[in-house]
Amino acid sequence: MVDLLTAATALLGATALLLPLLQLRKGGKQATAGYVLAAVLGAVMGLVGWFTLHPTPVPWFGSLLSDDQLGGVFALVTIGVTLMVTIASFTYQKGPNTPVYYSLLSFTALGMLLLSYSQNLLMLFVAWELMSLPTYVLAGFDKKLRSNEASVKYAIIGAMSSAIILYAISLAYGLTGSVQISDVVSGFRAQPTALAGVATLLFVAGFGFKMSIVPFHMWIPDAYEGAPTTITTVLAAATKKAGFVAAIRVLLALTTLYVVTQNPYFTLPNILAVLALLTMTVGNVSALTQRSMTRLLAYSSIAQAGYILIGFVPFSLAPASGAAALGMTGSILHVINHAVMKGVAFLCAALVLMQLKRADLGAYNGLAKRMPVTAFTMAIALFALAGVPPLSGFWSKLLLFLSVANGPYGWLAVAGILNSAFSLGYYAWIVKRMYADDPDSSERVKEPFWFVVVFAVAVGLIIGIGLFPQGAINFAAGAVPQAP
Amino acid sequence: MSFVLSLLVFIPLVAAPLVYLATRWNRKGGIYFSVAAAILVFLVSAYVFWGVYSSPPLPGQYSFVEKSTWISFPSFSLNYFLGVDGLSSPLLFISSLLTVLVIFGSRKLIDSHEPEYYALIFLFEGAIMGVFTSLNLILFYVFWEIVLIPMFFFIGVWGGPRRKYAAMKFIIFTYAGSTIMLLGFLYVYLGMLTPGSAPSFDIPTLAGHIPVGLQYLPLLASFIGFAVKLPLVPFHTWLPDAHVEAPAPISVLLAGVLLKMGGYGFLRISIGLFPNASAQYAWVFLALGLISMFYGAIAAVLQKDLKKMIAFTSINHMGFVLFGAYATLISGNLLGIQGAIFQMFTHGLAVGSLFMLSGYIHHQAGTREIPLLKGMKTTMPRTAAVLVLGSAAAMGLPPFSSFLAEFMVIVAGISAYGIAAISILVPVITAGYFLWTIKRTVLSDAEGTPEVHDLSWGDVAAFAGYLVPLVVLIVFSYLILTPALPVASYLRGPG
Repeated sequence: MVDLLTAATALLGATALLLPLLQLRKGGKQATAGYVLAAVLGAVMGLVGWFTLHPTPVPWFGSLLSDDQLGGVFALVTIGVTLMVTIASFTYQKGPNTPVYYSLLSFTALGMLLLSYSQNLLMLFVAWELMSLPTYVLAGFDKKLRSNEASVKYAIIGAMSSAIILYAISLAYGLTGSVQISDVVSGFRAQPTALAGVATLLFVAGFGFKMSIVPFHMWIPDAYEGAPTTITTVLAAATKKAGFVAAIRVLLALTTLYVVTQNPYFTLPNILAVLALLTMTVGNVSALTQRSMTRLLAYSSIAQAGYILIGFVPFSLAPASGAAALGMTGSILHVINHAVMKGVAFLCAALVLMQLKRADLGAYNGLAKRMPVTAFTMAIALFALAGVPPLSGFWSKLLLFLSVANGPYGWLAVAGILNSAFSLGYYAWIVKRMYADDPDSSERVKEPFWFVVVFAVAVGLIIGIGLFPQGAINFAAGAVPQAP
Repeated sequence: MSFVLSLLVFIPLVAAPLVYLATRWNRKGGIYFSVAAAILVFLVSAYVFWGVYSSPPLPGQYSFVEKSTWISFPSFSLNYFLGVDGLSSPLLFISSLLTVLVIFGSRKLIDSHEPEYYALIFLFEGAIMGVFTSLNLILFYVFWEIVLIPMFFFIGVWGGPRRKYAAMKFIIFTYAGSTIMLLGFLYVYLGMLTPGSAPSFDIPTLAGHIPVGLQYLPLLASFIGFAVKLPLVPFHTWLPDAHVEAPAPISVLLAGVLLKMGGYGFLRISIGLFPNASAQYAWVFLALGLISMFYGAIAAVLQKDLKKMIAFTSINHMGFVLFGAYATLISGNLLGIQGAIFQMFTHGLAVGSLFMLSGYIHHQAGTREIPLLKGMKTTMPRTAAVLVLGSAAAMGLPPFSSFLAEFMVIVAGISAYGIAAISILVPVITAGYFLWTIKRTVLSDAEGTPEVHDLSWGDVAAFAGYLVPLVVLIVFSYLILTPALPVASYLRGPG
């Protein structure tokens, strides 16, 4: 059955390599690349989905990759977002280099697929780079000044984070003599030296850049705003999630900090809790003052990363406890939900930018009259991001807050709930603009078919998971890694 | 297992998209369809009301119970748990009745985005039915929050000139209040978590088993959530804005239904789940209720806008609910809680009729400013007659049953503390400003040549829907008080 995953990998790789050949064709024929990629991604999702539902414990590529459900969830989420973006790009991405655009997307998807299943630090690093490098190019794909600036900024920060991760890997190899994650973990536990602590912190920092954790977040708003908005969707909803899977696999196993420093405050749970608090609060407070939709969503994306991080705290505190299972389930569920909510919110922003040529919040005034489907989708996505029941975001937040509410991190649950309440301020403000304010012109704007399809599926998921969360919760719970 | 309550919740929720499509396709047909669906819900709720009346559940028990597992997870599970008793059945009845009347009144007063409007009315109704029937705290919270969304759009899209400000203020106040309430629920849940026991969010399971030490913080948290909704001074500042800006039919829903969520929450959760802490601090709540009553009454005197005056009347009347409920806790006199439940019912109808009327007056005269409305007896005689009747109902004049409700609450207040007898002044002030308003608007002489724009007879008949039940209930008050008795004795506790 593992052959299914091999087939998925090979399919994506072959697509990525062959798509640029379509460059040779002239004119409108180039759009075929998008349809091909969408079909391939759909097939890959089918293969991964089938495999995740019917797992068989067979080693895969030696022990570089594992075939667990954690990988399955993240593979499905990241490939799913890429599929959403590909479909939306049918109408969004025009111009001469279209096949290359889809080819790069395909490479990113392959990187994320491999990263989701990585069990080896070097495999993880290779997949990490395979995922990141194409996005540097894609961020600058518009050939506009802003887009190129975003691309350069993103590439520099990305290179830096890769270097940090690589250095951490080299330390881990030097200390334990292995790059297999399970060996590194047991080695660190057996000999908790100061260097092991340093390596742990470096992993936090390196993954933190992708996960958009404060204080590693400063590149996010610029890159998200400058990149083509479809690519921003990939960055916010997919590659960021890949950062989280890497963190779950590596970081949570490393609880050596306390042993190293003997300082009761300098422990991994404490560090994660403070980072979660900072990330939520900085993200929400900054989002409130934004004047551009993409920047607002970028800061909101930072805030959401903070919520996801909450679930890591009980897990790093006592991995075998019920609270840890609850928290990690909440984190994984919020990863799934956030990919849908934030993904579709960015696609709405992409459509508005494409049709109205504006990204400032003023463009959203009276949007309900001009683009009713987009406005409705955006409203649902924003309410879900705020955690208003009965939408999907409510359940994952409830699990996250419940997991920390009882115990030493009760304050984190209080902070999380207050942050949620606070965030509704700016989310509802956008909804108010779309529904209550008057538009500059009342002319109806065309909403392309493929965007509407993506919107309908996403709204269905948000409301569906909201009303019947049991299936999604079970799915996420099945992916929670076993306590080491 | 019964499924009647699920019908109450899901008929409106299913009707919402259908109404949207029907109204888009054909305006008139859609509105007929809305009225039909609303009447269907009303009939179901009347059946529930009668069922609860004819065999009231024992204290602490519920009728029409439905229970099934919604979410299960190790160390965390939620039930879909519905039930009614003498506290919720009158509220279900009045909510569904007001929905019918509101849809009927909206056909003239709402003229834009009608498909969305009628669909949101049903979303609102379904959520409200859920709030009043949920017996699981998280399910309750989910419905509680769904109520916000249609109301936000009602105010923001169909409201008056300052609608955007009012809508934002409304949603921020109420959402902040309800998230704090959720914190309180989680606190209770986690506090009840002991190794080996399955914790629960179910109200009947929790009630009576929460240790006293665990009651104080959640009481405070739920107090904030409910006080914002009720609204209690000083959490009330969103209400005048929301009421003034909301279109008249929506004001009816705001005053008649949404505010009841606060009163219901105080009785069901603040007192029902945290009885010891509530009893200990009952005098604080009693005082706050009294302050709200006086503040609402005195502020209403000063208003020039008819609608704003009615809005402050709401604050005044809802103060009675809190006052009565906590008077029972102090004195043991069951009239307080019975009166509070009765007061919620009568306030919905009396003030609902006035809000709807203010919409018609604005529509017909072009203004709601009391000093500018002159000579209504000649310019709009039928409207003036309804205004006088509605005002009589709101000031608690017999034979309207609002008299009985306020009387019961005040009696319970006096049996709690003798000094609470000053509450008798509140109806006096209320009567004063209503009579003064009638003198200025109805009994004054019209300026210039009066043009007659009056209610149609059909609309006058609709107002009978508000006022006739009030008159009927002063005779047949046992319809509400009999099922309220076990609730009151249960909430009072054995003491």
